[in-house]
Amino acid sequence: MTPKAAKATKDTKATYAEPVVSARDVTMTYGDVDVLQGVDLDIHRGEIFALLGPNGAGKTTTVEILEGFRRRSAGEVSVLGADPERGDDAWRARIGLVLQSWRDHRRWRVAELLTHFATYYPDPRDPAELLALVGLTAQGGRQVERLSGGQRRRLDVALGIVGRPELLFLDEPTTGFDPEARREFHVLVERLAREEGVTVLLTTHDLAEAERLADRIAMLVGGRIRACGTPAELARQAAARAEVRWTADDGTIHRERTADPSQLVWELHRHADGPIAGLEVRRPTLEDTYLHMLHRETDGTDGTGGIDETNGTDGTDDTARAA
Amino acid sequence: MTNVWRAGLQRGRIELRHLLRSPKEMSGHLTNVVVALVIAVYVTGDVPGTHVPTAHLVLAGFAAYLLFQIGLVNLPQILVTEREEGTLLRLRATPGGIPAYLVAKSMLVVVMAAGTLALLLAVAALLVDGPLPHGPGGWLTLLWVTTLGLLAVVPLGAAVGAVLPNPREALALIMLPTMALLFTSGTVFPSTSLPVPVQQVAAVFPLKWMAQGLRSALLPDTARTAEAAGSWELPMVALVLTAWAVLGFLLAVPLLRRAARRESGSRLSARHRKAAQSGALPA
Repeated sequence: MTPKAAKATKDTKATYAEPVVSARDVTMTYGDVDVLQGVDLDIHRGEIFALLGPNGAGKTTTVEILEGFRRRSAGEVSVLGADPERGDDAWRARIGLVLQSWRDHRRWRVAELLTHFATYYPDPRDPAELLALVGLTAQGGRQVERLSGGQRRRLDVALGIVGRPELLFLDEPTTGFDPEARREFHVLVERLAREEGVTVLLTTHDLAEAERLADRIAMLVGGRIRACGTPAELARQAAARAEVRWTADDGTIHRERTADPSQLVWELHRHADGPIAGLEVRRPTLEDTYLHMLHRETDGTDGTGGIDETNGTDGTDDTARAA
Repeated sequence: MTNVWRAGLQRGRIELRHLLRSPKEMSGHLTNVVVALVIAVYVTGDVPGTHVPTAHLVLAGFAAYLLFQIGLVNLPQILVTEREEGTLLRLRATPGGIPAYLVAKSMLVVVMAAGTLALLLAVAALLVDGPLPHGPGGWLTLLWVTTLGLLAVVPLGAAVGAVLPNPREALALIMLPTMALLFTSGTVFPSTSLPVPVQQVAAVFPLKWMAQGLRSALLPDTARTAEAAGSWELPMVALVLTAWAVLGFLLAVPLLRRAARRESGSRLSARHRKAAQSGALPA
């Protein structure tokens, strides 16, 4: 077997290995309301997968079906090779959960709680090492109710991974974090996925977070997955054009949308005497894509040009500077 | 399975330690004992027709009431609070978590009950010449009535805790019937002074029988002439308490299972929002 063939075999194996999470045509109906109208998902081992969507889109329902906390109305679901509705203790031990609304065990001390939860698992992490990993070593003797919001969430993460889960659910994990805590949390999640091969399913409202962390993103709108792919793929799918901004000699600010920003910038330079002031090329951001999807959903139109409406809102991230 | 027991007992020990170190909860339990002692001091005279001090009857009745309260007031409150905080959900998401939780709660309730009972009887005996069982037979009766009494009220309390809406409404919903039973079950004064229909209704519930059983264990045999039936009716005590124990288990198992199954992140969030709106929970 040539090295090339070996690589091809490996790739094939990686691609066709059984996904950690697989959902086919999952529907959920409450009374006469269809919350999920046929959700398909595949999440692979070691992947950080983000599920985005507005409130009421069915994110929570989808995740709770995968967690085994909710019965679906129809469809096929497999999580770590089992149907979550029939997941036993051995299956539970392979899953970690970090929810946003836990306020439990307030009177327990941090280290005491972690040590206690380690006893439920066959091969737990060392509680002291885990405290260090989430940066709570100094708080080990403190009562849980005396932790700050960010510390509490990090403790929840520690509790979520104490049993060395293969799959970790993170439900809006950084809500209420300050930027530094958020950065530390992102580093932690990436370490878990990259170094330990933990598969992570993240739900979030924070598009920058999804873009920063996720290998792939699915957008759930109106009970269906409307788009799924890498952040870059999603941006392309929206058929959005890049925006080029520059300041002309007379001081006026120009903006132009183009599918080929390089061509435009080159032409600008050809007609200029020197450097162009304030030149900026902005690629379509995930936020553009997201709002574009929502827009298309509420409009019912295909809306290829609809990206312009999102123009004013994308001032924060992913600005690619040229010149 | 051994893991569940280990985790459950560890959990029970830790919860017990937290209870002992919580001034608020400890003062709640101690207040009950103090109230019983104060009443025993102020009650004078003998039980009509006997040479048994009324104070002894009151203390035996209070002992029964405290057991009843631990099973049907304290336990449901703990369950509802822990459900609301997400403890139940976390244990549901943990392998073996729910069985360990039940082991821990059983241990906690048994220790709380035994501790309260021992404290009440010991302090009463030391300070106010309170009653203690006469001979091995009396101790044996004390043991089986206490055990069966707990079996009658603890599963029932677990079932109540599984269905009550939230900790704020729970207390109001439980306390009213509990107080009604306290005054109609012959715990603090002989029920013979009450109208017969009231006695008959109270006789359906376990408190009357727990109190009667404990009186038989703690008071001299001559005191039975003051009982409504003129005897301790111990077979009836055993029968009624066993019936409640069976009923409690039949209700508690499916209700607890349902309560645990219904827990999910979104339900927890919804409750927290509601609680925050009513200003009852710190954010």
